[in-house]
Amino acid sequence: MPMTGAAPIAAPGWTANKETGVRIVDCDVHHSFENPEQLLPYLSKFYQEHLYDQGVHFAGGGYPNTPFRKTRNDLKDPGLKRRDFNFTLEFTQRELLDPWNIDVALLTGSPSDIYGAAGLPDPDYGAALCRAFNDYTIEHWLERDERVVHAILVAPTDPVQAVAEIDRLADRRDTVAVHVPLSTAMPFGNRFYHPIWEACAEHGLPVVSHIGGAGPTGNTTTPVGSPTYYMETRMARPAAASAQAASLICEGVFEKFPTLQFAFIEVQQLWAVSVMWHMDFDWKAIRDQTPWLKRLPSEYFRDHIRVGTQPMHEPARPEQLQWMLDMLHADETLIFCSDFPHFDQNDPVTVLPGVSDHVRRRIFSDNALELLRMPEA
Amino acid sequence: MAAGAHGGARRVVVGKAWEIPAGGRKLIVPFRGRAGIGVFNVGGTLYALRNICPHNLGPLCTGHVSGRFVASGPPSRAGATLTMDRDGEILRCPWHNWAFDITDGSCLGDPRLRVKTYPVSVDGDDVVVAYAED
Repeated sequence: MPMTGAAPIAAPGWTANKETGVRIVDCDVHHSFENPEQLLPYLSKFYQEHLYDQGVHFAGGGYPNTPFRKTRNDLKDPGLKRRDFNFTLEFTQRELLDPWNIDVALLTGSPSDIYGAAGLPDPDYGAALCRAFNDYTIEHWLERDERVVHAILVAPTDPVQAVAEIDRLADRRDTVAVHVPLSTAMPFGNRFYHPIWEACAEHGLPVVSHIGGAGPTGNTTTPVGSPTYYMETRMARPAAASAQAASLICEGVFEKFPTLQFAFIEVQQLWAVSVMWHMDFDWKAIRDQTPWLKRLPSEYFRDHIRVGTQPMHEPARPEQLQWMLDMLHADETLIFCSDFPHFDQNDPVTVLPGVSDHVRRRIFSDNALELLRMPEA
Repeated sequence: MAAGAHGGARRVVVGKAWEIPAGGRKLIVPFRGRAGIGVFNVGGTLYALRNICPHNLGPLCTGHVSGRFVASGPPSRAGATLTMDRDGEILRCPWHNWAFDITDGSCLGDPRLRVKTYPVSVDGDDVVVAYAED
């Protein structure tokens, strides 16, 4: 089978084995700034003073106890002065876009550096920080490489300002989505958020939701409280994604906004099978409680919700991966995400062993291009 | 690199012994036209590993060398201790943090996995790696 993407150039002497004819759309490429002060040019005087005075003061900007200083060991700042090392376009070009032959890279920001803005108790500062981050992204990333696109980061804590930010940036060529981090104070289906979803639908932009960031704690909590260890927080992500997906479906968001789509990123995949099966089973019995739903919940899911490949399951028996992809309707629902440059990243060469060329093409490019409304070149 | 017959295996000089002091390593990339090997000096003994992680093909030998983390029990148990032993003998792949025993190539997290190892010796000043023809 031809290898998708290139072989990594990770050590001296390695040579890339360039793949041609396969587009790769990477829907989770983390980017950040080296210092929050880089946001100052994009803030009003009032919030410049706020940043000087209080810093970004994220109540919970992401779980701090990530292993390995979060980023791939071979990519770290040699001085280890920073947890991340992905604050320049040049770094991302050199280590991801060029060697792995990424055709489209959706920038998703940094959970620990900026997602906390989406859940700040102060909704005005949160909106100002999101706006500043979007402007930083435009100047330092989007306008310097055509492969790079972004999702407008908004704080759902104030839908009015979120809508204004969407309206401001929606028409850019490189704006392909709206980013609302996964952890929220209320489930996504709640009518409080509907103005945001309406704006997304009007502009033809999907909502991308990466784990972490917003909400009262900033971390992915569980229905039984806050976890102690990092691995526990990772196990809570599918529960959070399941809750958001069920909420969107049950509240009738996709009846109200029939063109709206969501993508859940970095939440693994098997939960989606469970949600579709369990909701279909329940709906047949208790559909009278939500009679505004006209179709099987799984049909809403398959039409409206997409799931990122990362972190990808690696079952002990390879055929089990095929079964999961089949149950998931992966040729419709799954989109490739590298999570570059984090320690648990997936590369395009090894992420889908034994998967047919047709399904690979759907996962690596077509599903994402349709989601992001990007015409095929 | 000079190669020569030695028993049933081929042997190749990959460097001088002084290049790899205790705690050090030398990467030989490429090795036989492939992704390379790493030669590690653990407490005066040399070990050679293939520079391809058996998990997802990462450049294993460029990873961080440290030890094995050991708990005598859950931290909620009275007197439980958390320690690190075998410092300098455990190599973690830079891509996904999977840990390997430098001394035998075994994977700490998955007993079915093993990174390929090569016999390595010192001949005078030369570090010599042996490999089977294939």
